[in-house]
Amino acid sequence: MTPALEIAGLAKTFGEKIAVDRVDLTVPKGSFYGLVGPNGAGKTTALSMAVGLLRPDEGRALVHGIDVWEEPLRARRLMGVLPDGLAMPERLTGRELLTYLGQLHGLSAEEVNGRADELLAVMELDGSAERTLVVDYSTGMRKKIGLATTLLHAPKVLVLDEPLEAVDPVSAATIKRILKRFVAHGGSVLISSHVMALVEELCDTVGVMARGRVVAQGPLGDVRGNRSLEETFVDLVGVTIGGGEGLSWLAS
Amino acid sequence: MVGVLIRMKLAVLRHSTTDAKMALNGLGWTAGICLAVTTLVLASFDFSHPRLLMDLLAVTFALWVLGWMVGPIFAGEPALNGEHFHRQPIPRLALAMGLLAAALVAVTTAITLLAFCALIVFAARLSWVAVVVSVPAVVLLLLLVVLLSRVVTLLFRMLAKSRLGGVVTATVTAAMVSLSSFSWVLIIGVYLLLEYGFPPTFSTVVRSLPSSWSLIAVEAAGRGDWLWTVGPLVALAVVVVGLFLAWSALLGPQRIARPVVRGSSAQQAARRGPLFRGDQGAVYLKELRTWWRDPVRTQGIVMGPAFSIITVLFPLIFGFTAGLPFVGAASALMAAATCANPYGQDGTALWLTLTMPGKEKADVRARQLAWLTIFGPLTLVLTLVGCLLHGDASLVPWALAATLAALGGGSGLLAWVSVVALVPGPDPHKSKNSPMDHGDVTGQSFLMCFLVALAMGPALGVAWAGHALDLPALLWASVPVALLTGVLCHVKLGSVAARTLRDKGPELLHLMRSGKSTSSAEETGEGAGKSPFGTMSGKRQTLMWSAMAVGILGLFPQGLAPLGIKLSGSQAKVWFLALHVPEPWQWPVIAVMIVIGLAGFWGAYLVYRTEKRRLQAAAAATGH
Repeated sequence: MTPALEIAGLAKTFGEKIAVDRVDLTVPKGSFYGLVGPNGAGKTTALSMAVGLLRPDEGRALVHGIDVWEEPLRARRLMGVLPDGLAMPERLTGRELLTYLGQLHGLSAEEVNGRADELLAVMELDGSAERTLVVDYSTGMRKKIGLATTLLHAPKVLVLDEPLEAVDPVSAATIKRILKRFVAHGGSVLISSHVMALVEELCDTVGVMARGRVVAQGPLGDVRGNRSLEETFVDLVGVTIGGGEGLSWLAS
Repeated sequence: MVGVLIRMKLAVLRHSTTDAKMALNGLGWTAGICLAVTTLVLASFDFSHPRLLMDLLAVTFALWVLGWMVGPIFAGEPALNGEHFHRQPIPRLALAMGLLAAALVAVTTAITLLAFCALIVFAARLSWVAVVVSVPAVVLLLLLVVLLSRVVTLLFRMLAKSRLGGVVTATVTAAMVSLSSFSWVLIIGVYLLLEYGFPPTFSTVVRSLPSSWSLIAVEAAGRGDWLWTVGPLVALAVVVVGLFLAWSALLGPQRIARPVVRGSSAQQAARRGPLFRGDQGAVYLKELRTWWRDPVRTQGIVMGPAFSIITVLFPLIFGFTAGLPFVGAASALMAAATCANPYGQDGTALWLTLTMPGKEKADVRARQLAWLTIFGPLTLVLTLVGCLLHGDASLVPWALAATLAALGGGSGLLAWVSVVALVPGPDPHKSKNSPMDHGDVTGQSFLMCFLVALAMGPALGVAWAGHALDLPALLWASVPVALLTGVLCHVKLGSVAARTLRDKGPELLHLMRSGKSTSSAEETGEGAGKSPFGTMSGKRQTLMWSAMAVGILGLFPQGLAPLGIKLSGSQAKVWFLALHVPEPWQWPVIAVMIVIGLAGFWGAYLVYRTEKRRLQAAAAATGH
C-alpha cells in the first residue's frame, strides 16, 4: 500500500550547518505519526521540506505517491499543513480568512459558509471573537485558526508542526478528539512535538529525530519497548539531563 | 551601565550588518561627510550682507536637525531601544543615560559633530571668548539633535499604531522630507541670496528655532553681549534637559493602548459581491480589507500624495506654478515607491499562497488591482485639480500622460520589485505594537523611483516631440501612449512577478523566515535564480547605487526638468543649474546633464549585468 507520506533522503544545509541529514520517514495510511526530538533537531526544517515550503538540497517527499516538488498542484490538494509561528493574512477576521481560503480552494459559497460555521464553533472563535482580526488573536487562538485552515478543504493527510503548543486544555481536548476522529475515518496525521505525553496519548507510530537524522522509528510499542517514551527518547538522543549541579546561588 | 549598553549596541550592529547594508551605509556616510564639510566651509565664507552668514548657518543647522528627525522613519528603529530592557530592573533615568551614551557612539553622530564644528569656525572669526563659548554650544546642539530624534521616533511610533495617527505621521514625514529636499535650492540659488539676503520674517523665524540658539549665543559672545550669550545657552540646556526627561518618561512600557480595528460581522464576511468572485476576487477583497484596516498601509496611502502636494506648494513662493498639474503624477510615482514591499510587509503569510499552488498569478494581479483602486482615482483627481488650478491647457496632455504612465508603470514595477528585491522585516503580528520596526526600505524606494520614472519616459518623449514639432495631435498622442505603456507594464511585469513567485516562492519564504537569504546559495548553485541585488558584494553595491544616484540627479532634476521648463516658455529659473547659465549655454548644459544621467544609469546596469552573468556562470559550473 502506498504510504500517506513518504520522505526519502531529504537533506538541507544552511551555510556550514547541516540542518537535516538525509532523512527517511514513512507515515502509513491511516496512522497517527508523532515526530519527536529536542530543540534544533531539524523537525521543522524536515516538515517544511516535506510540505513544499522549503526547497530541499536533495531527496523527495511523496504524498499518496505524488511528488510534492514535481506535482505541487495535485500533492497539496491532499495535504493540510500547519507550520509553527508563521504569519497569516493578519487583517482579516477568522471567518473572513476561512471564507477567503475556501474560495481559493474552489469550494462553493454554501460549502464554505457551512464549514466555516462549524470550524469556528468547534474552535470557539465565533461569538465574542467574531469581529476580532487575526492580528489581535492570542497565541492559542492563532493555533486554532491555523488548524481550522488546514481542515477546511478536507485533506487526506495532515502535517502539523507543534499543533497544541499554547492551546488551553479545553480546546486541546477538542482538537485531540477531532484529530482522532480524522484518523479513525481513514485520514493520516503527522505531528511534531516535544511533549512526550501528548505523543504517547495520541500516536500509534513515532519517529525520533536528533542532530538532523531520524534515529528510530516504528510503531509506538516497538520504539519505547516497556519503558516510557521519555526514557527511550533520552537514551536515543544520547543526552544527560542537566540541572542537578551548579546554580548554587539560586534560591540559596 | 553606559559601558555595557555601548558594547551591546556595537555587538548588535556587528551581527546585523550585511554587505549590502554596509554599501548603502558607506554611501550615506560619504554623502554625510560631504555635507558636513560644506557646512564647515560655509562658516568660513565672507558675505557682503552682514546678517547673511548667520542666517545661512541657522538654516543649515535647522536642516541637520530635520534630517535627524526624518532618518529613523525610513531606516527603521535604532539598534537599541527602551523595549529591550522592559523586564530589567533598571531605573528609567539610568537607562535613558545609558541609551543616550550608546546613541552618541555612531558614525552619524560623529559626522554631525563635524558639521556642528562650523560653529567653532564661525566663533574663531569673532573673538577667542566666542570660541570658548562655542564649545559648550556645540555639545548642547549635538545633544539636542540626538534627543530630538529619539523623542520624535517614539512619538511617531506611538501615533503610528492607529490609522488616524498613521495619517498624521505620514503627513509630517512627507513635509519633513519635502522641506529637506529643498535644501539644494539654497545651494544653487545662493547668489540670489547674496544679492538680496533672506527675507527678514524668514530669518526671524529660523533664528527663533532652538537649533539656532547656540549660534545666537556665540555671535553675542563675539559682541561681548553677555545677556544674549548666557540666555540662549541656558534656554538650550533647559530644552535638552526637558527632552531627556520626556524621553526617559517615554522609555517605559507603552501606556497608550493600540486602538483595535474590528472586522466585519458574520453575515458580511460570508457575503460575496460580484467584484469578489473567483481567485482574483478573493485576494482582491482581502487586499482591500488590509488597505482599509492596517495603520501601516494608511501611512502608505497618505505619504505619496502628501509629499507631492507639499512639494508642489513650496515653489509657489517663487511664483512657480508649472508643478501644479503634475501633482497627481508625482503622487503616483511616490505611491509606487513607498508601497513596493507588499510581500515583505505581509511576511511569512506567504506560506498560505505556497500551500495553494496555482494561485500566484491571481495573488499578484489582485495586489496590483488593489493598489490601482486606491491610487488610480486619487491621483487622477489630483491631476484634474492641479490642471484646473494652473489653468493653462497646454500642460494638460503632459500631466495626464505622466499620471497614466506612472500608474501603469508603478503597478507593474511594484509587483516585480516586491519579489525580486524583497526587503524582509518582522512579521506583522510581531510588530503590531511597533509599526516603525520594519526593514530598511530606503534602497528599494530609490530603485522604484528611478524605474517608474523610466517607465514614464516613452509617453513624455512623445509629448516632448509633439511640443518641439508643434504638432498638437502628437502632443495629445502621448496620452494613449502612456495608457499603452502602462497596460504593458502592468500585464507583463505582473506576469513576470507571478512566475518568479511560483518558481522562487520557497526561497522568498525562507528569506522572510530567517531575515537573510540562504548563505549556502553559492555552494549549492541556487544562485542561478537569485536576484543579483542579494548576492552582490558591498563594493559593487556601492558602485551600482552611486551610479544610479548620479543617473537620477543628472537625468531628472537637472536634465529633464529644466528641459520641460524651457519648452513651456516659462521664465522661472528656480533651482535648475541649466537655467542659471547664459542663454546660449542653456541647451548644451541640459544635454550634458542628460548624458551624465544616462551614463549613470548605464553604469549601474553594467554592474548589475556583470553580477548576473557571474551568478549564471557560477550556477552553470555547479551543474544547474
